[in-house]
Amino acid sequence: MEFELATLSPSERALQDEVRTFLAKTLPSDFRPGLGIAAPHDPSFSTLLAEQGWVGMAIPVEYGGQGRTAVERFVVTEELMAAGAPIGAHYVADRQTAPALLKYGTEQQRRQFLPPIAAGECWFSLGMSEPDAGSDLASVRTTARPADGGWSVTGTKIWTSNAHLNQYFVVLCRTAPLGEDRHAGLSQLIVDLRAPGVKINPIPFLDGSHHFNEVVLDGVFVAHDMVLGEPGSGWGQVTSELSYERSGPDRYLSTMPVVREFVRAFGGDGASARRSAGAEVYEAVGAITARLWAIRQLSLSVARSLDAGAAPAVESALVKDLGTCFEQLSIELMRLAMPSPLGEIGELDPAGDSMLERLLAETVLTGPSFTLRGGTTEILRSVAAKGLGR
Amino acid sequence: MSDEIRMLTDAVGAIMTDRCQPGDVGAAEAAGWAPRLWDALAEAGFPWIAVDEAVGGTGGSMAEACAMLMTAGTFAAPLPLVETGLLAGWALAAVGSSIPPGPVTAAPSGPDLQLLRDGATWRLTGRLYRVPWASHCARLVTIVGTSDGEFVLALDPARGTITPGRNLAGEPRDTVAFDQLAVGPDEIWPAPAGVSARALLLRGALGRAALMAGALSRVSSLTLRYTSERQQFGRPVARFQAVQQHLVRIAEEATLTEMAVRTAAANSRPDPLDFDVAATKTVAGQAATTVAAAAHEAHGAIGMTREYELGQLTRRLWSWRDEYGSERYWSRQLGQRLIGNGAEQLWPALSVGVQP
Repeated sequence: MEFELATLSPSERALQDEVRTFLAKTLPSDFRPGLGIAAPHDPSFSTLLAEQGWVGMAIPVEYGGQGRTAVERFVVTEELMAAGAPIGAHYVADRQTAPALLKYGTEQQRRQFLPPIAAGECWFSLGMSEPDAGSDLASVRTTARPADGGWSVTGTKIWTSNAHLNQYFVVLCRTAPLGEDRHAGLSQLIVDLRAPGVKINPIPFLDGSHHFNEVVLDGVFVAHDMVLGEPGSGWGQVTSELSYERSGPDRYLSTMPVVREFVRAFGGDGASARRSAGAEVYEAVGAITARLWAIRQLSLSVARSLDAGAAPAVESALVKDLGTCFEQLSIELMRLAMPSPLGEIGELDPAGDSMLERLLAETVLTGPSFTLRGGTTEILRSVAAKGLGR
Repeated sequence: MSDEIRMLTDAVGAIMTDRCQPGDVGAAEAAGWAPRLWDALAEAGFPWIAVDEAVGGTGGSMAEACAMLMTAGTFAAPLPLVETGLLAGWALAAVGSSIPPGPVTAAPSGPDLQLLRDGATWRLTGRLYRVPWASHCARLVTIVGTSDGEFVLALDPARGTITPGRNLAGEPRDTVAFDQLAVGPDEIWPAPAGVSARALLLRGALGRAALMAGALSRVSSLTLRYTSERQQFGRPVARFQAVQQHLVRIAEEATLTEMAVRTAAANSRPDPLDFDVAATKTVAGQAATTVAAAAHEAHGAIGMTREYELGQLTRRLWSWRDEYGSERYWSRQLGQRLIGNGAEQLWPALSVGVQP
């Protein structure tokens, strides 16, 4: 395991400034920031961002993308996350589907999907989890049976974020009966979420919002040319796909907009909302910033090593674990340091007067998901532990 | 890691491997000094890395000094390496005084230390607390504030009254008391720009964090090794998920601290930045607490013995996390500064990383 010290080049710093300026100009001053990848699904923002060349940055130019580096994508992503930009529409397609298409997709699939992904107009959900298959993905029961010209897919996917808003999802399913090797016989199919036989049922999220869904597939036809990669090699594809998504800025910046509001509530430029800051407030801000600063250096280092052609699987897992646990810690540090308008005994008001109160309430309610999505802490650490000694 | 840093690390590591085994550290804890180790390191010039060659230093960057200190921390090296070079060497070089050949200790000014002018003479009164290896050093460097600004002092600590003390790891931390000590003209200089008690504290905190990063990484490898060898219930304990959680947490905190130190060191051109040091010592302090607890849990009773290596490292981590400011001190400093700068400066400050 090795993390090289990474520095942003002058052109990468220029890009950082460019994105920062764009966001300051584009996001309204009274806008309520989103929290990481749970930020609002806003097609017009995605289109606008794509026009700047900041969606599908890692997609080669010949497929409508920008052919930029992992570090350049890192630079743009962290600015978006830090600002709480509404990236909900395009983010999964950009982070996860596009690299999978590039690695496993057919030429026809790349031509069909990559240009609209890069334009911010083609949005994907993930179709992995099922009612009886969460961390143990190999036990999925959704089944595709041969049909004339393709496959007929039946089964139920669950926790499918934004299925009610997106156009497609990539479904992990069984294309051959379960045998001795439980990892064999799995495939990934690209399924149109508006196809006949697809039923999307909302599952209200803990805070009452709607992004989770149950997606029931009842004999949904999927043409041969919508199989992603080789039939039967879905397991290997899914496990490598999970490592792409692991260590980026979305793993440690979900609460950054809340931290900024926290500083604003006490800070020099927030005179109207100014509260007097005590030692515990300083300590919370310092502890949060210190850790975030160091985690960011590790994440940047991983992005740089990806550009150098490395496959930093253990490093990515460590950064994901550090980052998501940090996000949860940051919520508690702020909650405990926050003086209440009610006096020494106070409480969080989800409809409070200040943006800070409302955002803090939202993170308390949604924070537990930070360490669940993309692999639970426990699974991640078990996987990482095996790689540590090497 | 650059080739130069790797060569340096290897060279320091070779001396440590020869002269700083756990038995040597134990002997130094009993005796208060590690002469064989000091002689070899001094011979190679390692204690004076990042000190100007013009005054007898070894030259080089803060990144090289921190790489040396990280290796020293890995071996729990019981010597005032931070104080001799990063603190005393730096201050003496800044005033143009040549550096003494032996170990030199240093301390930020204490709360009750007073330097007053008495005619043409300066007189020093008061105490410096917890001074590393004061009784083994021929010089003590400190920086004291007066109504005429700050002054750099380099004194023989034996001219004061030394009361020996130790930290949790048995490293000497002595109290040095002065009573109307007349300071000679070759022992005092007005502090040049950039040299202050605060700057000395920043350097001390970064140096300690570098030692801590080394100790943390050694705790990580030691715990990995022990849990893969130790069998219970018919298999290595590292195969139990509950133990794996400890191993990963330890590796994460060690890695995070090392990255913080390397970033802060890379930005020291030549002096470390307030933000970086505050963040780094905060991260290191948190890591020390988490890692020591997890490593002891994973080791069981063997880790609680004086003989086994783990305790040499965790006792140091428990002391070093407080020396030159705990995570509470530094996180408050950092938070106060960031809140003063305002919300819109927070993310830009955070995302500078290694400065161009």
